[in-house]
Amino acid sequence: MSFQLTIEPLGRCIEVDEGQTILDACLREGIWLPHACCHGMCATCKVQVTDGEVDHGEASSFALMEFEREEGKTLACCARLESDMVIEADIDEDPDAQYIPLRDFTGMVTRVETLTPTIKGIFVRLDTPIRFQAGQYVNLGIGDLGISRAFSLANPPSSAEEIELNVRIVPGGEGTAWIHEKLSPGERVQIIGPYGNFFVRQSAKLPLIFMAGGSGLSSPRSMILDLLENRFDRPITLVYGQRMHSELYYHDEFVALAERYENFRYVPALSHEAADSDWSGYRGFVHEAANQCFGGDFRGHQAYLCGPPLMIDSSITVLMQGRLFEKDIYFEKFISAADGQQARSPLFRKL
Amino acid sequence: MSNENQTPAKKLTLKENYALMTRDLGWETSYQPMDEVFRYLKFEGIKIHDWEKWEDPFRLTMDAYWKYQGEKERKLYAIMDAFQQNNGQFNVTDVRYIQALKVFIQGFSLIEYTSHRGFNIMSRELAGVGPRIAAEMQALDELRHTQTQIHTLSQYNRYFAGMEEFPYMFDRTWYLSIPKSFFEDAVTGGPFEFIVAISFALEYLLTNLVFMPWMSGAAYNGDMATVTFGFSAQSDEARHMTLGLEIVKFLLEQDPANVPLVQKWIDKWFWRGYRVLALVSAMMDYMLPKRVMPWCEAFEIYFEQNGGALFADLARYGIRMPKHYEVAIKEKGRISHELWSIFYQYRDAAGFHPWLPSEEEMDWFSEKYPDTFDKLYRPRYEYWRQLEKEGRPFINSNLPQLCQICQWPMLFSEPDDPTQTCYRETEYKEEKFHFCSDGCKDIFCDEPEKYVNAWLPVHQIYQGNCLLEGVDPTAPGFNPLAEALKYMGIKPGIDGGSLSASADAHNWEAWTGRPHNSHEGMVTEPAAKAA
Repeated sequence: MSFQLTIEPLGRCIEVDEGQTILDACLREGIWLPHACCHGMCATCKVQVTDGEVDHGEASSFALMEFEREEGKTLACCARLESDMVIEADIDEDPDAQYIPLRDFTGMVTRVETLTPTIKGIFVRLDTPIRFQAGQYVNLGIGDLGISRAFSLANPPSSAEEIELNVRIVPGGEGTAWIHEKLSPGERVQIIGPYGNFFVRQSAKLPLIFMAGGSGLSSPRSMILDLLENRFDRPITLVYGQRMHSELYYHDEFVALAERYENFRYVPALSHEAADSDWSGYRGFVHEAANQCFGGDFRGHQAYLCGPPLMIDSSITVLMQGRLFEKDIYFEKFISAADGQQARSPLFRKL
Repeated sequence: MSNENQTPAKKLTLKENYALMTRDLGWETSYQPMDEVFRYLKFEGIKIHDWEKWEDPFRLTMDAYWKYQGEKERKLYAIMDAFQQNNGQFNVTDVRYIQALKVFIQGFSLIEYTSHRGFNIMSRELAGVGPRIAAEMQALDELRHTQTQIHTLSQYNRYFAGMEEFPYMFDRTWYLSIPKSFFEDAVTGGPFEFIVAISFALEYLLTNLVFMPWMSGAAYNGDMATVTFGFSAQSDEARHMTLGLEIVKFLLEQDPANVPLVQKWIDKWFWRGYRVLALVSAMMDYMLPKRVMPWCEAFEIYFEQNGGALFADLARYGIRMPKHYEVAIKEKGRISHELWSIFYQYRDAAGFHPWLPSEEEMDWFSEKYPDTFDKLYRPRYEYWRQLEKEGRPFINSNLPQLCQICQWPMLFSEPDDPTQTCYRETEYKEEKFHFCSDGCKDIFCDEPEKYVNAWLPVHQIYQGNCLLEGVDPTAPGFNPLAEALKYMGIKPGIDGGSLSASADAHNWEAWTGRPHNSHEGMVTEPAAKAA
């Protein structure tokens, strides 16, 4: 049993499980609500219920007074839904979010390309085209295993009928092993999407920095292709890193784009390329390359990061040292079960 | 009916509503330059380029604030009434818990009041409208906390000693100069130092260490009135904490030149705050008959883990852990014991009744402090118990040397040697100054002029400045220490002295029929109850 929760002023609608709190459901959907104590004491997460029935749970009678309950206020950290519900929360509207509803799609694999020894490009022609924002991801059903795996869409939204997923084989991972070994052209697949809040905030009209590494190129590639197709006129820089040249998939494509578009700069970086190779680009990590490229000053930009956790972490550090702060840094955060275990500070909302 | 033709105005979002009710209330002055209106914003060296970049950590408007706080008051006072009607003061565990309440009313209620004054200054001096309104609300919160604490504890004051002169004592009593001088140091800093000191270092970094033992301690020990006060304050505290985080983020993002200043204040105020909290460590470990958790564990959770996670994030701004934090970690198994030993030795000069831990309590300490208690503190307590049994209890009648900064007696041990008292000193303008730690010495050396004239109670006693009017120090039989106690508002034998001999203990047993100390049994004959 689950209920629909609509969050104003965003107008977004999400599913909330029975017994799940409003706060938990929102955070899992990437909707950040103000919160602090998480157990009904501090009232930081107070929201207005404008329609529907709510169970206030263990909210303290001091944090949520009687008169507030009568006015329809509730504490998101304790509140559970007893019907479909509409709330108004103290959150900023995101002018760039399109709030595209989730849908189920079916399609057929048309091509499987080997991009690197460990990454395959899977191309799927969908039976109905998908609408998404560049940077978002989908869940791909894994054959008969009854599981699904999340992959960012590597194609721009303009190619809505044939989508591309880049899949790195995870050692010992059953999902990616199945994709690498079993998935071949002609195979039917099921897809749910689009998910995620990782998309370009174009309305800010700022120059953009993309930092990508490992198998994290998909979203930045989709975003950059989309921006260039739509004649985005601010400077765009892609700093893209792999360990060695043979892993630097789509290198030639970006070199060509950089030649064609004056506002697009491409900075490839290799961290473990053999010293005697003919690589003339940057040698080192993505964050180091970016730091050198911008002379340690990132003010007035927006940054979009995609890659392994260590790369994201080092990149955030280098960006903040270069005085670009949380408000202008975006990345897709995958929350794993382990994240909930360690003490977290509330200093940052999304970093 | 012209109204029929008008379309209703679009409903404002919470954010728009908030902007109209707060940010829109500020303006650029035209008769006077803004620098003249806000005169203290520049002298600390902090650079603010754009107050509009301030992100309000909560969006509460003044009208909503009044309504909300008014309702909280009604609820709190209804429960306080019920508490008084039911003689709730006799439902607490035993009279040791009452001693903890005395420490609070003496030492903490008036620093809330000083905080109220500090935030009033902030609400005048900060140029941004968002932070100014947040400061105004906090100023009101702090005043409300002072008032509700006093009212909560007033019922206890009708029955027990040591509480009725708390404002008088706060300005004069030797160990109360510790919290008093701490907060006055903060209020006399510039606006940015004050707000980093109080909103960040105290409210964010350290407040859980106060709130948790106090409120959980009250709940564990059956004090419904204080628990209710705690609930009514907690929703304010959450606002104060988020303000602390926001101010630090804002300063760090505004200009790189702010980073070293913020770091310096974090270093200073972590250490200042931590030293004041030593008092809480003794309360947690010794004064709660039903204990919540030992200080060392609370310190691990609230400072080492939560604070550690915070500083891991702050590292991105170039901020590191506060200087000397590692000393605080080294001290966590020691300070509550070192402090309680001092209070016990000076029990005749305290405004409450210290006692020796029971066998049961010492076993609990052995379990919770396996590395330190049996080796360092148990033998001393056992010796003192023996002396009490023999009818010649140990009393320290010399006055202790005080630290020039935190004003604690020199009671803390060397970071790496718990058997040696830590003494530090420095010379400034041909005078010697003494400190309890490197942390306090660093603070002095950075701003010596601010501290050279600190009002140190022991110095003042020896200089003859702690005498009531009309006392003649040349009169025969003049007893300087007894006169100093009178000056400090401590009535010998009533406010301080041994617990088992106190009026509190005897009254408690007479009124409740229960032992004054549930670990030690009755000190009065059952017949006393009937009398």
